[in-house]
Amino acid sequence: MFFHKKLSHTITLHPSFLGPRMREFVTKRLYQDVEGTCTGRYGYIVAVIAILEIQMGKIIPGHGSAEFEVQYSAILFKPFKNEVMDAVVHTVTKMGFFASAGPLEIFVSQNLIPADMEFDPNVNPPSYHNEEVKIENGTLVRVKIAGTRIDATKIYAIGTIKEDYLGVIE
Amino acid sequence: MDNEDYYENEQYDDEPELEVQANEDPTEIFLPEDNVQITPSSERVTTPYMTKYERARILGARALQISMNAPVMVELEGESDPYEIALKELRAKKIPFVIRRYLPDQSYEDWRVTELIAD
Repeated sequence: MFFHKKLSHTITLHPSFLGPRMREFVTKRLYQDVEGTCTGRYGYIVAVIAILEIQMGKIIPGHGSAEFEVQYSAILFKPFKNEVMDAVVHTVTKMGFFASAGPLEIFVSQNLIPADMEFDPNVNPPSYHNEEVKIENGTLVRVKIAGTRIDATKIYAIGTIKEDYLGVIE
Repeated sequence: MDNEDYYENEQYDDEPELEVQANEDPTEIFLPEDNVQITPSSERVTTPYMTKYERARILGARALQISMNAPVMVELEGESDPYEIALKELRAKKIPFVIRRYLPDQSYEDWRVTELIAD
């Protein structure tokens, strides 16, 4: 699910950047540091929308650098259990397949794939298929998140397509 | 620059005040150009003179920054010692710092270095 949230982040700036273009450097560093990162608490930070406030920089004693506390608003992406989302298959193995939904990688195990779909290792690229549809590299699938494991810096998700309206989409 | 430092800070996200309270020194603070709210002069109670401790702290911090390639705010006439340059900036009232003077009740006053009398 996507969220719009206000967050804050501390940026340390080396003295050589403390000139008239300081604001610009702080902004640039914020985008670099924050966009695309993943925290266990908030999920992936997809994009910074606006910088709300840059507080006065605090000089670190004995260090010369300045710390700026920046308030910003960002778009977050955090997957939840039972959430249904669309993803692109990128690897197919006999254990199951991996699909990616943006930054998130979803693993769909073979026992969460409908029983009538069979793994065929002999074709290239390898695929799961039944009479009607075929899952191979690049196929669009609709998966339901069966579970997530959230580490401090990464999110792992297990998906299922063994339910109505899940599986290959056109 | 200092990625490790910054990740450590991230963990203490919920309690940023602790750090400030533990620091009993008057703290210099850098100005991000506009959005600074300095304590209005009518509410100020501390001396308008820069104390010798503040002076030492400011010159030390500024000289360190200059030695680390910070942009210099005065015209140089051949000086190369960072401390000399810091002194010159102080005399020219060009040091872009704000001093936060903590009072015993943990409240504080912010003074621009340029406002303080430092003779």
